[in-house]
Amino acid sequence: MRRVVVTYLALGVGAVLILAPYLLSVQTSVKTPRQFAQQPLLALPDPVTGSNYAELVVGGHTLIPPLVITVQVVLVVVLGQLTCSVLAAYAFARLDFPGRDALFWVYLATLMVPAVAVLVPRFVLLSEAGLVNTFAGIVLPSMFGSPYAIFLLRQFFRAIPQELLDAARIDGAGHPRVLRHVILPLSRPILATLLIITVVTHWNDFLWPLVVTSGVRWQVLTVAVAGLQSQYQGNWTLVMAATTLATMPLLVLFAIFQKHIVRSITITGMR
Amino acid sequence: MSRRNRDTVAGYAFLAPSLLGVGGFLLLPVVVVLGISLFRWDLVSPAHWTALDNYRSVLTDPAFGRSLAVTAGFVLLVIPVQTALGLAAAVLLDQRLPGSAWFRAILVLPWISAPLALGVVWRWLFDPSDGAVNQLLGHRVEWLTSPVLALPSVAAVTVWTNVGYVALFFLAGLAGIPPQYAEAARIDGAGPWQGFRRITWPLLRPTTFFVLATGGISSFQVFDTVYAMTQGGPAGRTEVVAYAIYREAFVEFRMGRAAAMSVLLFLVLITVTIAQQSYFRRRTTYEMG
Repeated sequence: MRRVVVTYLALGVGAVLILAPYLLSVQTSVKTPRQFAQQPLLALPDPVTGSNYAELVVGGHTLIPPLVITVQVVLVVVLGQLTCSVLAAYAFARLDFPGRDALFWVYLATLMVPAVAVLVPRFVLLSEAGLVNTFAGIVLPSMFGSPYAIFLLRQFFRAIPQELLDAARIDGAGHPRVLRHVILPLSRPILATLLIITVVTHWNDFLWPLVVTSGVRWQVLTVAVAGLQSQYQGNWTLVMAATTLATMPLLVLFAIFQKHIVRSITITGMR
Repeated sequence: MSRRNRDTVAGYAFLAPSLLGVGGFLLLPVVVVLGISLFRWDLVSPAHWTALDNYRSVLTDPAFGRSLAVTAGFVLLVIPVQTALGLAAAVLLDQRLPGSAWFRAILVLPWISAPLALGVVWRWLFDPSDGAVNQLLGHRVEWLTSPVLALPSVAAVTVWTNVGYVALFFLAGLAGIPPQYAEAARIDGAGPWQGFRRITWPLLRPTTFFVLATGGISSFQVFDTVYAMTQGGPAGRTEVVAYAIYREAFVEFRMGRAAAMSVLLFLVLITVTIAQQSYFRRRTTYEMG
């Protein structure tokens, strides 16, 4: 009995510590700057105001264009990365051709390349190609598949029984049809997992968009929030409305797909 | 065409897009970064060949030494604490009391939120006059502007972000340990602590390795949280290597030096990874399902 109480107590303290920053920032985001300055922090917002959000939606500091760009970036990267990774994984798992194993080792070795270490050369390459501060510049480095996704998919594809593929081949199906009608329907769990992880990673991505874009034209959400913070230092009610807007879509997604997301993190060791 | 030839054509056709990605954005950059590191270049005027000057200048620059030390300090603050807290949370959640799934979900929340946005929130919470932390404490502490407290404060936020994630892996590890082991230990008269110490903990070693390796490598590259909370300050006390590279390249426009720093970071991380792997390979002699 004592053990149960202690466990709940410890978990409760942990939950409060995790939730408090979220709740405090939401609470602050619906206060007026005057309320925020004059009343204690824990005082409930009275009256609740939507003016900070209005400013960020229809006002002079609208986050709608960054939101639209972020959605587009995530869509393009997710579609590109999943398609290219699936194709590569099929080749590595199910086709036999010279150079396959050597290439697979090269792909695996690139897992050791730290993202920060290739920041400068990636920027230089895209700058030479005239792609700095363009949409292509944001999405190109990650839309042609990720070695890690390829590795996970390959493991999964290899576990599919050969007889299923042979049956399709005997019926005259080529590789694209086998992939589409046999492999993909069987791979829904791993595809859903990769989908979730890719969406989260690229929705939250900051360093690369920060470096490769400048000005407001191609600002993504995280970069816009960072800009807002440095421009309006001390205007915390507005800034907290912005961070709430930036984190809310994924939190809603999490609320809906909680179980699946938790499982996905453990499967992939998401980075 | 023979089946083998057909497979070769199909294989390379299927690989083509990812070859472009891996070749163009992972392998080529590794070559290019080595190249750039041998030049003095500000992106605008022509580059000057300087051989190894950038390495000499970076390695003798006290600021780079400091940023390596800051990064190492950051990793050493974050990793032990987040691993211990993550393990503790996993053991608590593993008792599977009613409501555990809720607690588990809450712990993971920070992991799916943008580190940049969380960093901004915590910058406010740690604000000396407007922040929640000082209002709750009732007196003024300069969390992010004190040379002593800034790095531990950023590290604390990183731990706060990662604990749930670490706990998930330990939970998976705990679920993989057959209950008969704990049972056998109990029958032999081991208390809960002894059972954990002698049975559970050694069997969790592969999980521990994974958590330490991924946690170490990612916290070695921390950027967003530092950018949002301190911008490397005060006086460079939180200027981690990733932030130093960013500033060198995109604020100071010294691409050659930034490239040399990138190469050195790469070498450090590879050495750490290989050292970790050989250490754990030596100490892990069994397989786990």
